[in-house]
Amino acid sequence: MARPKAVRAPTTASLPNNLRIPSSTPSLTKSLGKLSRQALLDLAFTWLDDRNIASFPPYLQADEDNPDDDEALPYPAGETIEEVRQVYEDLQDRKGAKREVLERILEGDWRHGITLRQLAMADLRYMDDHPASLRWTALELSRIDTKRKNSQKMPPADWSGSVPRMQAATFVQGLQREISPLVKAHYHLAHSATLPLTFLRIFVVDSPYQSPRQAAEIFTDSSRVIYVAFPDSCPYVYTSIAASTGSKAAPSPSSVATDTRTLQRLVRDSIPKALSRPQERFSLQATSLAAKNLPTLLALRGPGRSTASNGAFSIFADAAIEGSPLDPRPSNTVSPEEHIQTSHSGPAEGKENTNGSAAKRRSSSIDTVPVSPDSKKRRLAIHSRFGTLGSSLAPAPLDRLDIRLLDTAGSNEEQDDDVDDSMSTLPAVSLTFSGSDVIGGIRKLAELGIVDPERMPSWMTGEEGVSVATVRLGQRLQRDI
Amino acid sequence: MTTTTSRAPTSPDPEEVELDTEITSIRAESKHPNRKPLIQIPNSKANPNQVQTLQKRKRILTSSLLTTNPIQKLLRKQPRPPTTTNQTDPLATISPLVHAAGAHTSSNHHRIAFGATAFPFKDPSPTASAAPLLGVRIDVCARNGRFTKPYYILLQHERSRAGPGSGSTKMFKVHRHTVPGFISIAKLESVYLPRPGVSRDNGDGNGEGGGSSGEDEDAEPAKPWKKSGSSTRKQDLRGFVRELRRELVAWHMRVDAIDFLREKLGLVGEGGKSLPFDVSPDRDTGIVSLAAVAVEARYVRVEWADGRVGRFKLSNAGVVERAVVIGDEGRDKKVEDAMTAGGGRVETVLDRLRVDVLSASPGTPGTPEV
Repeated sequence: MARPKAVRAPTTASLPNNLRIPSSTPSLTKSLGKLSRQALLDLAFTWLDDRNIASFPPYLQADEDNPDDDEALPYPAGETIEEVRQVYEDLQDRKGAKREVLERILEGDWRHGITLRQLAMADLRYMDDHPASLRWTALELSRIDTKRKNSQKMPPADWSGSVPRMQAATFVQGLQREISPLVKAHYHLAHSATLPLTFLRIFVVDSPYQSPRQAAEIFTDSSRVIYVAFPDSCPYVYTSIAASTGSKAAPSPSSVATDTRTLQRLVRDSIPKALSRPQERFSLQATSLAAKNLPTLLALRGPGRSTASNGAFSIFADAAIEGSPLDPRPSNTVSPEEHIQTSHSGPAEGKENTNGSAAKRRSSSIDTVPVSPDSKKRRLAIHSRFGTLGSSLAPAPLDRLDIRLLDTAGSNEEQDDDVDDSMSTLPAVSLTFSGSDVIGGIRKLAELGIVDPERMPSWMTGEEGVSVATVRLGQRLQRDI
Repeated sequence: MTTTTSRAPTSPDPEEVELDTEITSIRAESKHPNRKPLIQIPNSKANPNQVQTLQKRKRILTSSLLTTNPIQKLLRKQPRPPTTTNQTDPLATISPLVHAAGAHTSSNHHRIAFGATAFPFKDPSPTASAAPLLGVRIDVCARNGRFTKPYYILLQHERSRAGPGSGSTKMFKVHRHTVPGFISIAKLESVYLPRPGVSRDNGDGNGEGGGSSGEDEDAEPAKPWKKSGSSTRKQDLRGFVRELRRELVAWHMRVDAIDFLREKLGLVGEGGKSLPFDVSPDRDTGIVSLAAVAVEARYVRVEWADGRVGRFKLSNAGVVERAVVIGDEGRDKKVEDAMTAGGGRVETVLDRLRVDVLSASPGTPGTPEV
């Protein structure tokens, strides 16, 4: 560790960006080793970029105290930054194993340690490459309005949703103010390169000291890392509350402060407070959606069109039934694929994905089914129930779907009024579907004739866009009972 | 080139063979539009696409021909007198087509002219109520003369039992919609489509929970407000659609305005895509980048070549409401004032930011220059 260890006083500051983790830490090798060769190279180039070089200085010859040690190490220190850059350019040009880049970084140019910020960048890069690597929970930001009562006469002129205007530095400061008395944290905020999201990576330690004396392993402990993702322009927040509760399966009450889950909860609670401002308070509410895939969350709780219309209504979200008003063709003569692909120019949707391939793939998959009037009818029913969801046109795979059924067995009659007396004796049936794409799987089952597409309840079509639901009489109940 | 069912083994000309197979595939596809061509064309990859585009073009041409006014009039006039006399009139067979084309044109005219149209939609779910949903379609025309993907709102009828006086008044409730997330449907709904029943239903201990959907949760913060003034307020569907459409149009206009500025600065490449990087700064203003901050396009971020960074807020009317520019030595008030000056129209903001204009008026920053 590069910092002097003589002075150690508890502070409330955040962990510094340049706190170095010794490069010899085995878990560091592991967590950087998750990245691909190209990703590692990209990271090295970013670190060596002119704008960042001050934050991530590589180990140069000038830094060496005693040149005699040099023989023991396989990588001689570079003389200038240009030289180091050239090394990675060369690595870029030739093919090779990931190992050599990793070793070059850890044992060569950053042998004096990887800073917390570098580690955070590496983690976020991994997230960009693997959007399904974590399980995310979608939460909704809602404004707590106390002043609304007074303004009932004039309707507010501003119909924008409760999207907080976030300024990164201010937000992190606010968050730091909230959690610093309880935990020590390192923050890293970055916009995703591939998705319309801003990631906040928070690493928490329960030590009040600026350079914690814990083993260096702790810095790569993934259960101490919390990710918060802010999708652009919509009142939702995604968090990753680490699912790996393996070692902490039974938290003992004595170790309240050191339990990583407690730390995570503390951080989660302080997010809405950090987003709030005077006269503008926010709170986080659950939206019963958790999924492993960030694109799924963006589709179901994002800024786009499909947030509030799924299942049978996804035809509206994709505008798959009607064309633009300038289209002279009657809409029933045009295939939905064409409607989706045609020249609508939406600012949010960006450029249409130029894929004849998706449409072709789909039509060919339909063709393999022998056409009998029965299956044709079923296919129509499936189309009307699932819309475009679960097909290759609009993939939003849910990896898990938990359903609690509250219907009494065998009774089909309407029971609108006497809800209360039936509550006590209800046998609760819980169904859990899991797989790579639950709704797509149900659609497949319907295509095979195992599920009756006309009679199945709407939660099977993914219409609600949730991953946890309580269902009575085929309708999702708003509140979990 | 008479028949193509035989593979024409004796045909000497290879081009002719190709043509034959092409025709076969076109015929096969036109017979079974959903099927793959029966005869795979091995030698050319581009052919299926050609067939598709040709078919598309043919369909567009036929339907636009059918929908033209003279043809519609002519067809409508013609069959009247002889309908009773001869059943084998050739026009009778095409009349459903003509009819559909006519109906489609008139609905298109409505969509273009009014921007908001209504339609019924039946929820295919077996547990849904039998009454069809009321769909509202909103069309917005963008700057390039094309229409964006239509926005839909599907409203549910609801009988308010708790309504005072008249036993069952029809109430609307937003069931599903495709409006982007930054426009708060819940807020709009709570103002224009208030339902007196909502707060009371919840008082019963979540009776009728089955009928409620995701929007109820969103509306919850607004409930105290609703309760206080609810019983007398009426639902205003027109106002709801009007405000929603206004908001959507304003969003598209903001996006268009930013695109326009980017085009003016030369930040947009050939195919409408943004250039990768290393854009030479604009000669007149020294701006190297200008982009919307998020999808909502409410804030615009501007960067100058000398390192100054600015941000301005666009109002719905297309006016620069507020602007902040920060350079190395603090805020650049002169540029900020220039941005909001002169009526603050966003379209002319670049003219106001020209270096020569800015330096020409050193004593009086913020004078209207337009």
